[in-house]
Amino acid sequence: MNTHETQAAQVFLAHHDFVRGVALKYAPWPGLMEDIAQQVFLEFMAKESQWDLSTDARPLLATMTRHIAMRQWRERTRQQPEVVQKLADHIRLLAEEREAPPRYEEEISVLRSCLQKLPEKSRELVELYYYNDIGTPQIADQINMKADTVCRALSRVREKLRECIERSTNQGGPAHA
Amino acid sequence: MPDTDTLIQHYLEGTLTTAEAEELHELLKSQPELGERLLQHFDMDAMLRATKPLVADNIIRPALLPKRRFTFATVTSVAAMAACVTLLGTWLMNAALDLRPEAEETTASVAVLTRGVNLEWESAAITPGTPLSPGLLKLKSGIAQIEFYQGARVLIEGPAELQLVSSGEATCTRGKLSAQVPPQAKGFRINTPKGTIVDLGTEFGLDVSAANEEVHVFKGEVELHQPTATMKSLKEGQAMAIAGDTAVLTANASSFASLNEIDARSAMSQRFQFEKWLASSSNLNADAGLLLRFDFQDDEGSRSLRNHAVNGGQIEDGSIVGASWTTGRWPGKRALEFRNVSDRVRLNIPGETKTLTMAVWVRVNGLDRSFNSLFMSESWGDRKVHWQITRDGKVRLGIAGSHGAHHADHDTPVLFTPERFGRWTHLAVVFDPAAKEVRHYANGELLTRSPLKTIEALKIGIAELGNWNDRRTGGVAIRHLSGAMDEFALWDRALSDSEVAILAK
Repeated sequence: MNTHETQAAQVFLAHHDFVRGVALKYAPWPGLMEDIAQQVFLEFMAKESQWDLSTDARPLLATMTRHIAMRQWRERTRQQPEVVQKLADHIRLLAEEREAPPRYEEEISVLRSCLQKLPEKSRELVELYYYNDIGTPQIADQINMKADTVCRALSRVREKLRECIERSTNQGGPAHA
Repeated sequence: MPDTDTLIQHYLEGTLTTAEAEELHELLKSQPELGERLLQHFDMDAMLRATKPLVADNIIRPALLPKRRFTFATVTSVAAMAACVTLLGTWLMNAALDLRPEAEETTASVAVLTRGVNLEWESAAITPGTPLSPGLLKLKSGIAQIEFYQGARVLIEGPAELQLVSSGEATCTRGKLSAQVPPQAKGFRINTPKGTIVDLGTEFGLDVSAANEEVHVFKGEVELHQPTATMKSLKEGQAMAIAGDTAVLTANASSFASLNEIDARSAMSQRFQFEKWLASSSNLNADAGLLLRFDFQDDEGSRSLRNHAVNGGQIEDGSIVGASWTTGRWPGKRALEFRNVSDRVRLNIPGETKTLTMAVWVRVNGLDRSFNSLFMSESWGDRKVHWQITRDGKVRLGIAGSHGAHHADHDTPVLFTPERFGRWTHLAVVFDPAAKEVRHYANGELLTRSPLKTIEALKIGIAELGNWNDRRTGGVAIRHLSGAMDEFALWDRALSDSEVAILAK
């Protein structure tokens, strides 16, 4: 990489979480956020010689992310049955009209602290589902429970984490979480 | 019909049935507050996926996993029997053959560079996968992840200077680092110009600048030792300057690179390199002197390698025998793994060539045989070509003499030591009669020049990648490669130093 390329990559990486947050807002479809962030990175780097890296990159990255998010969202949902497409349309509209957009950038570091505070069973569940990529039916098989019970347990864990983040943020930031 | 929580989970998991999608849609329309709830779950789900740890051994999974089928007693009795058989076998072998153990190979390395993002070094450039010996690392920019053999994982952010002392100790004289120290690495020490941090099994950050030094504890506890003060203990959420004002501050995790984030960042960086390589392929294929280029991007399951050289019409595709597909230099890049005595790619380079350049990306897993093939003409004699790695780690271009004349071996110094095993290396060799020399390159750098005594044309003919067929009857010498290849090219012209350097980028 030449120096300008390296600087461009560093600028992007400094705004990585910002890009992810924008991606969440415009493409609320499971598993799309990381693909969008990667595509924004590639397109940002492909045109890096055009960018003035001394100015704030957020407006540019927000525009690029929005376009790419819409494109990828359309491509992904287009392959779904009509009834799922209608649901996806509805959810995207809700996300765009939302009063409080995702605060990914602020919340991700707090979330890490909150994860440490989860009870052991809840942490195990997060680790199995999110880190070991084991689906809820397979987790249910392993622990002799109904799949619906696992779904509800994951739902409760996410709600607890949301409460923890809000508590921590109100108290003044990640260090107090 | 499942309840709302289950419907939301199925949406997040991508397993909604059409009936469930219809039901969820109806619920969203009739209960406006459900929309916000679903989006909050969606945001949290995305964030949780992004916190996936880099190293799987952090993951605990005790109570929820099924019980093992083997009891400890079963394992110990099987192990005991295996040990007895091994001891008996060793005794019989030594008694019969009077074998003496050979001197074991050793390594001075204490850590390994496992990942890097946009790395620029002031000290000698190193790439992920490189074992690291004690010494000074000077990182100009980028983020490097180093795993110490004792178990500690450290991220350094350039500009930074880190002196590796041992598998459990380092000295940071400049820059930022964050460390994750699992229980088995407890006691890991980081020295700074003003003090020493001893970790008690935790995560912490260190910021060393000319003006100040600060330690931030994110999890667990560290001990702070200073030459002129009593030892201080810092707990989770606390930070402190190492010298001067020793008031307890609040730790700030967000100002340090996170071990969890480097995975995503390095994945993007790798994808960027992969895309650049793809984009440059068409120019390379159009090179007038290029006779053969396998990019190893053929369909997975394919049993042939397509020759992409635009001017290589007389050279047909290679035929894969035995070798299996695996991952190449980057995720998504394919490669062929050579493991078995039968594994090879057969091809034919008809006619003669006066000048020759060959280049390959290779990952050597071990050098188990006297000769380990990269690319070898079938049989031997009459200006045939053998490009191979010797058991002691030298890369060799062997050229057979014509009409019974003696052959010539052009060797590099030892290149493949155990520290290089398992890492992708770019090799190139140039047979250059105009300069009357053979040149060897590794990762784009000239390794050696070797004078040519004979400049007669080469006759490659039928040849093999990763193996050799000596066409003898009653037994064939075993010279297969133990490793993988993910790109191979051959020119009938001599590439310059700069052209080889570009190939290796």
